[in-house]
This record gives sequence, structure tokens and C-alpha cells, in this order.
Amino acid sequence: MNSETFAQLVDAQYAPLYRFALSLARNAADAGDLVQQTFFIWATKGQGLRDAAKAKSWLFTTLYREFLRGRRRDARSSSLDELAVASPELLADEVDRVSRLDGAAVVAALQAVDEAFRAPLTLFYLQDMSYQEIAETLDVPIGTVMSRLSRGKAQLRAALAQGQSAGGKVLPFPGAKTAGHS
Amino acid sequence: MNRDEAKFILTAYRPDGRDAGDPALAEPLRQSSVDPVLAAWFERSRAFDAAVADKLGAVAPPPGLRESILAGVRMSGSARKRRTRLARFVLAVAAAGAIWFGLDHASVSRSVSPPTAFAEFALDDLIHGHHGGTGEPTGDFQTRLAATSAPLPSEVGMDYGRLQTTGCRTLHFAGRELLEVCFARGGGEFHLYIAPRTGGPGYGSASAPVLVTEAAGAAAVWSDAHFDYAVVSQAGLAAVQRLFR
Repeated sequence: MNSETFAQLVDAQYAPLYRFALSLARNAADAGDLVQQTFFIWATKGQGLRDAAKAKSWLFTTLYREFLRGRRRDARSSSLDELAVASPELLADEVDRVSRLDGAAVVAALQAVDEAFRAPLTLFYLQDMSYQEIAETLDVPIGTVMSRLSRGKAQLRAALAQGQSAGGKVLPFPGAKTAGHS
Repeated sequence: MNRDEAKFILTAYRPDGRDAGDPALAEPLRQSSVDPVLAAWFERSRAFDAAVADKLGAVAPPPGLRESILAGVRMSGSARKRRTRLARFVLAVAAAGAIWFGLDHASVSRSVSPPTAFAEFALDDLIHGHHGGTGEPTGDFQTRLAATSAPLPSEVGMDYGRLQTTGCRTLHFAGRELLEVCFARGGGEFHLYIAPRTGGPGYGSASAPVLVTEAAGAAAVWSDAHFDYAVVSQAGLAAVQRLFR
């Protein structure tokens, strides 16, 4: 892949990759590092990918794996995977509530969602991937993606409601790391 | 398929309608067209999802991220061309390997020796960092590092506190704050990372530094009485070694 083609790939994917990373890492510095690391790995390993159409999925998968590699999985995130719960009823004013918030507040609410649900939920809201592609990217069954979307949306609504009651702004998730570079 | 099952599946329906032709979603979509309660829920659900997607899509990456990605990969590509198959290779650890083994590794996140972890951190920053210190003391120190042809001394000789408070670039590694100063010598560009010692044995002496090479570049790590140092460069291992001769 020549530098022009690589630049085109960066232009097409770095912003959605950053949004995905931001929801996972919970701070801008780590999110930026994850995106850079992902493209660095692409430059060293991914360019051998024969099917260029798979580049997007490859990048998101790699970023997710890099994120997982960077921290230990806790028991809670995996134990919630297969629990089935009905979605709570969605109220009409919840749509208005989201519309009134800024992007940062919505990201903060996403960051409050349990990690197991957060990754598929963010990919869903980026809208570039179908649920089948999300399953492939995260290497989980399609049914698990649907389950996690359902539960994740319920948690997101709860986080948004909680943020609203805390003064109109969703609060950052406690324990968020600070930037490594100053 | 009952209403709850239909809702469960339609949760995966993207709000922009791109999944309208998905055969797996056909049945719940058909059901929503004949079930007013389900239809009302689906409409609210799509509106909610569209609002969240809009907000998320409006989040802009930080300025400079695109340029950093392109520059970082360009630099790593240059490094790969200069060196063939430079897998991570610790060239000289003197007796350090035996010394470090069994020490408290709580300050590093991976099971590598502290000097190697420090070198890897510096090499990673070499590729990904936004380099450039500012301030007169930093400039003086850069000039001194660049001008001397003498081997890098065991006592680098600088006022850490002054550099720290006058705009020298600061980073964090394993919970420790450190400074970075860039300098040029002998046609090569070098980045020196300086971390105050926190107790325990040093990272080797200037006469026997720990040398590490990776695809990103070469590094030398050592310590004096007060600080741990890592100097890294893409000019090659020989250029780094020349700093100590």
C-alpha cells in the first residue's frame, strides 16, 4: 500500500476509530494512543491483507484487541454476557433528552456502560457496521451482539437519565485515567 | 414471534435504515407494520438511536491526531528500511539480567526487566510522541548535549527542577514523571528521557548501558545516583553506542 492509499485509509477511518477508542478507553489521550497504535500495527502487519474491503473490520478488531491487551479483563464483564433481560420501555421524552445534550455528554454516558456492552453499542451507533459485522469484529456470536445491544441500550438510557438528574450533564466515569503526556 | 422477541431483534436495526433488506430482520419488521404498540416502540427506539448516533458522530478527534498517525507510520517505515529483521534484541545487559530478575516489577505493566520496559516506553514515544521542549534552560541543555564530542557522562549534569518548571516536555512512565530533551549529534537525532530515581538499583552505568534495538529504533538505558536515563534514536544502534565512546 503506497502512502497515498494509506492516507486515504487514515482519512476514512481514524475519526470513527477514535470515537470507538474514546468509548472504550474513557479518556482522550489513551484513545488517541489506541488509534495510533492500531494504524502502526496496520503499517507493520495489516498491509498484507488481501481483501482491502476487510480493512475497516481489521482496524476495529485490532483496536479492540489492543484495548483488551492493555488491561486485565475483570470477572464482571464476562459474567454478564449471556444474561437475558427485557428492554425497559423507552419513553418519548428520552429522545428529547438526548437531543438536548452535547456530544461529550453522550460519550460520557456511553463510557458509563459496562465494558462488555460498550464495545458493540459504540460500533452500532457509529452505524458503519451491521450487527453481523460487529459480531465478526468482536469475535462473538450474533445472538450475543443482540443481547449486548439490548442490555447496553438499557444501561445507556439509565446513564443518560442519571446524568440529567445530576444537573444536565453526564458525569465522567469514576476512575478514568489521566493523560499520560502532559 | 412475540412482541418482546421482535423488540429484541429490532434492537440491532440501525436507525438510518441500512438494515431494511436484512432477511433476518424481515419478520420483526413485518410484525411492526401490523402491531401498533410495537410500531410505536420501534419509532421511538429508532429516534433515540438516531439522536445518539448523531451526537457520537459529532465528536471530533483531537487536532493533530491524523498528522501524528501519518508521521508515526512514515517514521517506522523508514526505520524498517534501514534495518532488516530487527526483532527485539537485548544486546548487552551486563550482569543486569540476573540483577533485575526477581525484583519488584510492580512499577511496570509487563514482565520485562525495568530497563527494557523503560527503553520500550522511550522507543514507543519516539514514534508516537509530540516532541519538542521549550524554554531557555531546555535550549541550553540541548546545545550542551549536541556540542560535546565527549562520551555521554555518567552524570549528565542538568538542573532537573529547572527544566521541569520552564516548559521542558514531561511524560509519565509507570507512575513516574520524566522529562524528554531532543538533541542532535554527529548527524543523528536523539531523544533523552530522564526520570528521577525512586529507590532500588539503577538501570546500569554509563560505561555499561543496557542496549535495546527494535523496529522503532535503538535505545540505551542507564542510571546515575539520582536519575534513570534512556536515550533513543532512529539513527541506528551504532549511533547510540557512539554516544558512550
